[in-house]
Amino acid sequence: MADLEAAKINHDNHLLLDQPCLRTPYELLRKNFRSVHYPLEWESTSVKNLLKDTANGSLNGKTSPQDVVKNLDQMLAKMRGLKRKLTAAAEEEDRLYRHLDARGAHLRDLANLNTVDDVRYEAWSRTRLDRLLVDYMLRHGYDASAIALADERQMRDLVDIDTFVVMSKIRKSLEAGSVQEALAWCNENKKELRKMQSNLEFMLRCQQYIEMMRIGSTPKMLEAISHARKHITPFNDTYPDAVSNMAGLLAYRPNTTLEPYASLYSASRWQELAESFVEAHLRLLNLPPTPLLHVALSSGLSALKTPACHSTRSRQRIQAPSPSPDPQGEEDDGDHHHHHHHHCDHQPTNGTAPTTPTTPKPHHQHGTASLTTRVCPICSTELNALARNVRYAHHGKSRLLEHDLMLLPNGRVYGKARLDEYAAKSGLPAGRVKDLLTGEVFDAGEIRKVFVT
Amino acid sequence: MEAKQKLEALLDELFKFKRLPRLSAAAHDVDKIIDLLSDAREQIAGAMDPHTASLTMTKLQNPVKTAFDRVNDDLKAASSAHKKVGRALDKNFPQKDLPTDNDDMGSHLPLINRAIAMHLLREGQFSVASTFIGEVQAKNLQAGDATFDEPMLEDEDGEDENDTDADGFLGDATSHEDECDLSSLHSQELQDRFAEMYRILQELKAQNLLPAIRWARENSVELEARGSNLEFELSKLQFVWLFKGPAVNGLPDDQNNGLSGALSYARNNFGRFQARHLREIQELANAMVYAPNLPASPYQHVFSIPTAFTDVAASFTREFCSLLGLSAESPLYLAVTAGALALPRLMKYMLATRSKGTEWTTEGELPFETPLPESLLFHSIFVCPVSKEQTTEENPPMVIPCGHMLARDTLSKLCKGNRFKCPYCPSEGLIRDARRVVL
Repeated sequence: MADLEAAKINHDNHLLLDQPCLRTPYELLRKNFRSVHYPLEWESTSVKNLLKDTANGSLNGKTSPQDVVKNLDQMLAKMRGLKRKLTAAAEEEDRLYRHLDARGAHLRDLANLNTVDDVRYEAWSRTRLDRLLVDYMLRHGYDASAIALADERQMRDLVDIDTFVVMSKIRKSLEAGSVQEALAWCNENKKELRKMQSNLEFMLRCQQYIEMMRIGSTPKMLEAISHARKHITPFNDTYPDAVSNMAGLLAYRPNTTLEPYASLYSASRWQELAESFVEAHLRLLNLPPTPLLHVALSSGLSALKTPACHSTRSRQRIQAPSPSPDPQGEEDDGDHHHHHHHHCDHQPTNGTAPTTPTTPKPHHQHGTASLTTRVCPICSTELNALARNVRYAHHGKSRLLEHDLMLLPNGRVYGKARLDEYAAKSGLPAGRVKDLLTGEVFDAGEIRKVFVT
Repeated sequence: MEAKQKLEALLDELFKFKRLPRLSAAAHDVDKIIDLLSDAREQIAGAMDPHTASLTMTKLQNPVKTAFDRVNDDLKAASSAHKKVGRALDKNFPQKDLPTDNDDMGSHLPLINRAIAMHLLREGQFSVASTFIGEVQAKNLQAGDATFDEPMLEDEDGEDENDTDADGFLGDATSHEDECDLSSLHSQELQDRFAEMYRILQELKAQNLLPAIRWARENSVELEARGSNLEFELSKLQFVWLFKGPAVNGLPDDQNNGLSGALSYARNNFGRFQARHLREIQELANAMVYAPNLPASPYQHVFSIPTAFTDVAASFTREFCSLLGLSAESPLYLAVTAGALALPRLMKYMLATRSKGTEWTTEGELPFETPLPESLLFHSIFVCPVSKEQTTEENPPMVIPCGHMLARDTLSKLCKGNRFKCPYCPSEGLIRDARRVVL
């Protein structure tokens, strides 16, 4: 029963996974603008003031022409510096508008589609998958793979490689025990970090302090104390516990086993710092905290999963067509099978004897693999283990892939059309049918119609 | 406004933003300030007298101020353009929070990595795949056992994972940690198989059927067991292809081509198909009689092959993947596509339960429906018409003697003693006559 409603594309809902695709260039436009706005305001005020002072000084004879030239050189240096920053920001802005444009075009392709059954939908959805894969790779720090895939698919403008590469560099520096890069980043984004009440910078400052304490020489301890005065104790009101822990650290050596000092000295703090940096970075850019692929997979695996996908039962049946005795009375069906196995020429080993679970090849490797049905993605090796723990889809009504269901004596049910097709393809004489999975051959007289209400 | 129009409105608006002012204007205007300043510097440095200096400096004030104002305006214009983008997004594409609270996938990264590696391989992205596998392994090595040494919960039920994988080169992966997984992929076997598949597909694209025919012949037992006629379809196409002769197929014009080539090909190769495909072979033979005037003959359709090569390429891919226990379409692609389609329902449900403060309760089954298009259905689903429950391994579908299907739990409830009455027709039956069925 074609579920036409399910195939229709709702353009509002269909792009939930694609929100960052358009949002991120916008957030980056703002970030890029801020990176140039404050330096420009600062420098232009200073140039304007110097210009005014120099003019006044020159007018009332206090500034010599030599000093005027010197001051002008100073202004020029500042303006050239500004110009470099602006040019870089303008190039970045052009790039971001280009991204926005490319992504607009990508979404336009979807806007032109009305149903997922449209052949062009597959190409679109494949591009989306590639985007999600690049996003996943970047977030997990597999930068080279992400770049290789984006280049291979010619979709650099659809993914945010540069942003994530910067993030991944800072994260790796933290993991390697260096705070400098992360502190520089905090400085660049001071205002926004304060707005989101991030404690990242404070944590980094604490780590610097801990590292000084770790060295433990008297000059280092003194340095640590002055560092704390400048960067840590001012936050006594905001983070009272952390500040008092830092103070307490003075009394403990790195080999202490006393908590919380032992944990403060622990190397695992670097990993935590790296994680809080990533979290702050993603939040700053309004990006979801987990890779979108995780979201898509967890929703998709459940939607596709059926009770049959991890069924041990159907598998045993495939391997041993004589059904294991069912407690609910199937006394009579044991007889049906053994008569017919001899017809099954192509699979001489299959089902000739009540096989043990260790029997090698099943007739087919899949519950529904054959002829017109396709191998289910959840049953396929790639996703089977991953899908084991997710819930299976809820269905309020039966959805049968076939019509005119027929029951074979071995308890298996197939559509009549498929049974007929398989019999013809197998070159069976008229009046015979063959089980698509087990290969058993039966008389057409033995099969029964099944009604699904 | 309808969703589609909203999206289109947004895209139209975004398109317009291309022409909005940009930061490059500010960079340009900063240049003018630099020019003003350096001109003044040259004049003062050239004359080096206080009068020129003070005069030049005084004259410089206003133009520089104006130029700075212009830079400021440029910046404002660029910023307002950004804000327009933001407003357009907010209005037509308002941000909705994704369900990232419980990241159940996050604890299975090794399995996701493996799925991605296999996806890349099956897509023929061999170099990307090998970069990826290398990076994952390097990271694992670096992290030691700390990050990935979590036990795979999947194995709790102690079930054998090798179900889909007769050859064993993929299956062991799930029971070990990531490193083993990917090295088993790296062990080349899967990579070699897919490389073989791509080689053959490449040849098919170039209209050379022979490598595909060779493969089909090597695997003919398995293919026949699957009810696949691939080998015959390929051989038949080869016959037709030769029959069309050098003008069409571009092969050398000798006795191995054209009518005689097709004839000898048939003689040498069709024997093995006679039992199963006699009628089609006869049809091909009859067609040869009409060779001079095929288009007008009743056999015209046999020789009209506009899509034949793409068709056999598709069935070849399907069969090749099936023999590896893999679906012909990338499972990752299908899962992500299904995920995008099901996501709105998931979010709606999460929103509803969050406001009520209730948790997910149904064990094993999603508590809401996620309708998928037919192209994403792979198993028949039977929902018991009485209990409205989906049948499972514990509660399988049963057929009762009148041919109606019910869930086993329903049947037990209907039972009086060992008899029951069908809820859908007047017939009665004995419980021992009910048969468990496999859909």
